[in-house]
Amino acid sequence: MTKLLEVKDVVAGYDDGPAILNGASIDVQPGKVHCIIGPNGAGKSTLLKAICGMLTVRHGSVTFEGRNLKGLRPDQVLREGICFVPQERALFPKMSVRENLRMGGFSMPDKSTLEKRIDEIEERFPILKERRDQHAGTMSGGQQQTLAMARTMILQPRIVMLDEPSLGLAPKIVKEVFEIMKVMTEDGITVLLVEQNALMGLKHADWGVVLDLGRTLFEGPAAEVLTDKRIQELYLGGKKAA
Amino acid sequence: MTEIYENSEDIVAARRAYNETLAAAHDKRRAYWFPMFVVASLLALPALQLVGNYNYLIHLVLYTMCYVTMASGWNIIGGFAGYISLGHNVFFAVGGYFAGMIFARYGISTIAMAPLAGLVCAVLGYVIGLITLRVRGPSFIISSLALVMIFRIFLENWHFVGGAAGVSLPANDLPVETAKFPYYYAFLAMAVFAVWASYKIKHSKFGLGLRAISKDEIKAESAGINTRLYKVLAFAFSAFFVGMAGSVWGEYLTYIRPNIFLVILISVNMVLMCILGGKGTIAGPVIGAVLIVAFNEFFVATLGASAINILATGLIMALTLMFFPLGLVGTLAKHRKLPRVLNWD
Amino acid sequence: MTDMIQILILGLALGGVYALMGAGLSLVFGVMRIVNLAHPSLIMMGAYVAYWAFRLYGIDPLVILPVAMIILAATGLILYKLVFEREAKSARYSEMTVLLTFALAMIFEGALATAFTNTQRVTSPEYATDAIFLGDIFIPLGQLYAGIVSLVLIGSLALFLKFSRFGYAIRATTQNRDAAQLLGVNVNLVGLVSFAIGLALAGAAGSLVSFVFSFFPSKHWEWIAVLMSLVVLGGMGSILGTVVAAYMLSVVAAFVGFFFGATWSTLTFFLALFVVLLVRPQGLFGEKPELT
Repeated sequence: MTKLLEVKDVVAGYDDGPAILNGASIDVQPGKVHCIIGPNGAGKSTLLKAICGMLTVRHGSVTFEGRNLKGLRPDQVLREGICFVPQERALFPKMSVRENLRMGGFSMPDKSTLEKRIDEIEERFPILKERRDQHAGTMSGGQQQTLAMARTMILQPRIVMLDEPSLGLAPKIVKEVFEIMKVMTEDGITVLLVEQNALMGLKHADWGVVLDLGRTLFEGPAAEVLTDKRIQELYLGGKKAA
Repeated sequence: MTEIYENSEDIVAARRAYNETLAAAHDKRRAYWFPMFVVASLLALPALQLVGNYNYLIHLVLYTMCYVTMASGWNIIGGFAGYISLGHNVFFAVGGYFAGMIFARYGISTIAMAPLAGLVCAVLGYVIGLITLRVRGPSFIISSLALVMIFRIFLENWHFVGGAAGVSLPANDLPVETAKFPYYYAFLAMAVFAVWASYKIKHSKFGLGLRAISKDEIKAESAGINTRLYKVLAFAFSAFFVGMAGSVWGEYLTYIRPNIFLVILISVNMVLMCILGGKGTIAGPVIGAVLIVAFNEFFVATLGASAINILATGLIMALTLMFFPLGLVGTLAKHRKLPRVLNWD
Repeated sequence: MTDMIQILILGLALGGVYALMGAGLSLVFGVMRIVNLAHPSLIMMGAYVAYWAFRLYGIDPLVILPVAMIILAATGLILYKLVFEREAKSARYSEMTVLLTFALAMIFEGALATAFTNTQRVTSPEYATDAIFLGDIFIPLGQLYAGIVSLVLIGSLALFLKFSRFGYAIRATTQNRDAAQLLGVNVNLVGLVSFAIGLALAGAAGSLVSFVFSFFPSKHWEWIAVLMSLVVLGGMGSILGTVVAAYMLSVVAAFVGFFFGATWSTLTFFLALFVVLLVRPQGLFGEKPELT
């Protein structure tokens, strides 16, 4: 059986600048939530961007169900079944919530099911139904994050990648965001997320990946990563953290 | 669980080593003798007139030094702060007209007036900058073009300065062999001053602030830099040098006319020289000026002074922007191949 | 009173031509965030196509208009592939690219001047000097036709953007390029096609220009400043804004010209630009304060 997603020894950087990633890998566990942590500049966001095609993978391999993703454009990667929500959430501020959702289905070849899917999503996320005509740009941070994540589900993707979904959100809202991730996995979606708040990210994840010095230094079940002494000391703020 | 390091100290050490590799190389040694050698040679150059007629060469060098002054000035706003002004020849015109009219009416030498003309342009630049520097990037460039148009229409219709026909200025009464000398040394002094000043600015807190602005203005603002003041000051400083050059240029040509100063090629040259040489570097404008003047001479000699000139200039600019956006000095520095004599930063 | 209406009509007719010239520019800016300073010089190219078609084969500029559009669109495809594609992908994007378009403008001007010399040209189909009379109002036929053609083309563009799938993609890319890309839009293709469309509109404008103004290779510098003023006044990235600004300013300029003379008329555009920068930097329909 071919692996869902294989990310091995990826070397990547911005334009023709130096390589930020120097051999990053992820041992992807289908249907689980993976949390990527590491210090600033380690290349966490860079890795996600490389997988989805926004950056060129210079060396290493990224294969999806046996198909090579290297060199594909982001819109092509999307059609393979991998969605990416960047830090800025990629919403259209001047379009309404419903229009944003509709835009989420842009790449669907068969539009007849699109309206049905949008309705389904609105049912599952009542806040979006409530504000369906509101301009996306006027919503709060948490609502925008919900919209961005719900939008990915319109396409029923295999993998959803999230770059710092909890950025700028109040703790209560962050909990809701992680709830959505749980809902996604219940739908069979594999989630990869980058989290600056390493402690919280690992607590809610199934698998942990530690990126540092441009490489994957540690990788394993989230609980193991959380309780490892070295990781606590270096990335979780000291021995008293967990 | 995959693991590579045994304990945290190893990781911290590895991190330090890794950061080292990312740091840019920095050659602190300076070849001070080179600029001094250049200046000394330039001081002595006019002596050639004793052995033959090198008037055209003197003119070329003078012309180059005028551009060095202007390009170095432009570099302050365009290179250091990153705001591309395509209409800087407006200050060239204002300087030229200011000093030229005073010379025409009161006989005071434009060389003596040059600093004052520069100051006038600096004030004008400050005022204009307050308006145009409120917007970034593309809008700013557009406003600089509109500025040229406004000044052009203005000067062409102002009878006091002779409108489109301009004003004729008396030539000096030195013999032909030495007639260019005062202007030559004036421009030499200006060029040296401009290069020295841009070095000083670059290495000051002000210059650091400008560099921050050019990289990311929003972050610079949130870091506490008064971006508005810095930008407008940079614009004013750059106007100062261009205005100084303009004031003497008019007298040198013995007439002032709108289409001497406000023709697009002059502002393009200022910009192109900085880009070709290296935007934001100190030696860049100097090298760029020399190269462009040389190219120009070459083209005129081989292709004749015609439309092909514009085509060729455009082509050089396009190729430089596409393949060597950092310019000569910048590209060499990036690949760590910059010869010390050219490292004036 | 009839005088005033007369001036209004003349202003509107001219406004139509400027609106067409600016619409292509605005479209390209919205999609690629590039201020194409070479746009006016490409309009010149279109004008020369029309001129030579008329002079050598007697073809009416309005008839050659579609051909000019195709030629310019093809030029746009080549230019994009050769020059802008790589620029569009890199991070350090805005100012250097603008300078690049400036260099291109010089290249085109130089090429046109070398090929066709600096002689002033104008196409003179019959209607260029004809006029019709609506009561006491005199409407030059040439400008009337130009105004109508402009309206038709701009209207078609608007319909295309609003109702076609590709138009949808263009609008999404204009609003948020990254988001569009991540939702399945091939933004590179969108850039390519938008650029070609923008240049096609320039070609059309060129044909119209050929009998409305007299032109020569370096005339594009005047138009750069005018068009840029329109784009800033209308709000960068808003085609509607550019079009509205074009009509508004042309009418104002017509009145200014009537009362104060032709010189002040041209000045109107540039002064308006500065006023906008002072009072409302984002223009009429622009959104947030400018981001580079």
